[in-house]
Amino acid sequence: MNARQVASLSRRHLLKIACALAPAAIGLRLFAPPPDVVEARVRSTSTGPTPGSSPAATPLGGSAGPVAWAFGVNASACIGCGHCVEACKLENHVAPEPKYNRTWVERHVVADDGRVFVDSPDAGIHGFPPESTAPGAAGVNVATSQFVARLCMQCDNPPCVSVCPVSATYRTPEGIVLVDQSRCIGCGYCVVACPYGARYLTPAGEASPTGNPGVADKCTWCYHRISRGQEPACVEVCPVDARVFGDLNDPASPIQAIVSAPGVALLRPELGTRPKVFYVGLEREVS
Amino acid sequence: MIIRIAGRSVPLDRRHALGAVELARAAVRAEVASQSKRLRWGFAALTAVIGLGAIAAAFKVPAGSEVMGTTPAVEWGLLIATYVFLVVTTSGLCLVNSLGMVFGIDRFKPLEMRHVFLAVLFLLAGFGVIALELQYPLRLVFGVVMSPSPGSPMWWMGVVYAIYLGVLLFELVTNMSNHRRLAHAACVISSGWAVVAPVTLGMVFASLVSRPFWQGSFVPLYLVITAMLSGASVLGIVFTLVQRLRLPGHGPDAAGVVVGIRGLLVILLSLVTAYTVLRTVAALTIGSELDREAVSAMLVGPLGPQSWLLRGVVGLVVPLIVLLWPTRRRGLAVFAASWLIMIGVFVDRLSFVTAGQIAPWGAASGIVSGEYASYFPSLAELAIVAGSIAVVALIYVIAERFLDLSSPGGSGDVHGIRASGAQAMLRRRILGIGPGVRPDVGGAAVDTLAVATPVLFPPAPIAPGEGARR
Repeated sequence: MNARQVASLSRRHLLKIACALAPAAIGLRLFAPPPDVVEARVRSTSTGPTPGSSPAATPLGGSAGPVAWAFGVNASACIGCGHCVEACKLENHVAPEPKYNRTWVERHVVADDGRVFVDSPDAGIHGFPPESTAPGAAGVNVATSQFVARLCMQCDNPPCVSVCPVSATYRTPEGIVLVDQSRCIGCGYCVVACPYGARYLTPAGEASPTGNPGVADKCTWCYHRISRGQEPACVEVCPVDARVFGDLNDPASPIQAIVSAPGVALLRPELGTRPKVFYVGLEREVS
Repeated sequence: MIIRIAGRSVPLDRRHALGAVELARAAVRAEVASQSKRLRWGFAALTAVIGLGAIAAAFKVPAGSEVMGTTPAVEWGLLIATYVFLVVTTSGLCLVNSLGMVFGIDRFKPLEMRHVFLAVLFLLAGFGVIALELQYPLRLVFGVVMSPSPGSPMWWMGVVYAIYLGVLLFELVTNMSNHRRLAHAACVISSGWAVVAPVTLGMVFASLVSRPFWQGSFVPLYLVITAMLSGASVLGIVFTLVQRLRLPGHGPDAAGVVVGIRGLLVILLSLVTAYTVLRTVAALTIGSELDREAVSAMLVGPLGPQSWLLRGVVGLVVPLIVLLWPTRRRGLAVFAASWLIMIGVFVDRLSFVTAGQIAPWGAASGIVSGEYASYFPSLAELAIVAGSIAVVALIYVIAERFLDLSSPGGSGDVHGIRASGAQAMLRRRILGIGPGVRPDVGGAAVDTLAVATPVLFPPAPIAPGEGARR
């Protein structure tokens, strides 16, 4: 066999391999337990309402199904008390160290010369000192200042779901993005992919009360609570109703007041992630 | 059980198996005794570095990210950069070899055997590093198969690199067993796969809409070009040493390889320099805000010193000058430039990985970064990286001592006059053949029939006078 024949043989082999791999991958996909199974397992322990079929996105980021959960943040109402952060940590067994948070509160200070300073000491869990702790913020003349609560956006087009190589991150039919921590490999790809910084890898050892060190974790809007018809813990403890949770398909839901308020905004809408956290009262663009 | 050693059938029962431990111990002792003092120090240093890496890995495995310098703001750090460096260098080795074996440039044909051995080593080292980076590497192995996610670039990367390893191992085995047609076919496939693999790896970064610095179709292309750069550098180092130390395969052909690599490095350095300048200008003029901030971090920010000094001066400018400088000592120039380029490419990988995250869009998990997020590799990360590179170096040096990497199939004469005492001892113990001392090269030298090679592959007969010539 001459070199030319060898070259054609290799091309044939290459095509054979490609043809063999494609159906193999598709076939193997059939054996994988779909996220719905995991979700059903979670649901079997709850008494909440049964979700409808897979929802279609609406312009508001909700869904056309029976339930279209959404979250509202009224930045002009938030007082930065940090109760929400504390409640979240307690409710969801989040590691106590300040760098691990499912939700947090930022303070955005705009100086009279236009400079912006953002700080969040210990994620805002203990409240905020009178002066911003951001570098260079000491002594500046403050023009405006406001607190902005942050949490997972439960995007309709979540980058974290599509990048997961083992399908450990998935969306429930109601549109909540969850992590199957028994599948997560701890690669951090979803942490890097999330444009909102809503994810982290759980710490190891005693600081990991969930018993799953080194896996991805994030806010679930207290999925175990909302599935039972309760509010997320952070919403329940908020003393000024700066956090609002509800069903976009329910005309009586408190979320309706948020989404219909003037100046309602989404964070980083240009990325096409279609977040479902609606902000009102923002005095400047928040990224 | 019967095993075949050097074409002979050797029965192996429990008694023999127990003896094998003693045999291995004696082999190591004999091998150490046969080494020169300088080589022994080299081995000791590499072993010490590997030991440190192993200790760091032992700390890392149970502790997870606690011993790493990474944070939710900069989740990917030195280990990811090292993984990229190692596996992309694998592709570079195959691409440079393809110049000879696929495109028929004679000057690059002697690369065939050494390139594939190095490629397997680099790829396995890369897998080792990524396994330590991941908290649950076994879940990845099973998860990629049992719960595939074809929408994820990382899933494709896992599949592509698993196939790549299989192709490279096949190429190595067929080369060592001198199955020329199969080896050539494997070489053609691995050469094509050497483009597919870094492109897939590049897509892991390039597909992230939230990271403008990484995003873009040119990132995979850049990885392919820099893959060739690092692969050619590794081969430049190896082949100048082959010439200098008169290892098997030295001579006009190896000298031709060095000359070819010199020209290739000049072309690749020019391309990378041009790309770097254009990429920087484009980011600063028409790039998004985050892209601009990331590039600024590399120009005047916290990544500035490493980018200018190590990546720019050490990794690009100085090697280009060294290679173009008119000198008769071209081998030395290629050797020095290759080392500098390797440093530059490694720093480039680290800069690439960290710059994509260091320019913050906002807070991450409650951590509000200042102008730039901070990341410093921990001692554990540094030790793991050093250990992984030391593993590659140590195994390759051992392979050069025991295997004939000069040509496919090997001649059986492993390293000429520096014959190993371990081989003689193994030969006596396993084959029951006499001491095999070759009187023509002194008492320390022995018949240099490789032990490892004939266990797997019967050796080709040595032509009369071949050993003496070497």
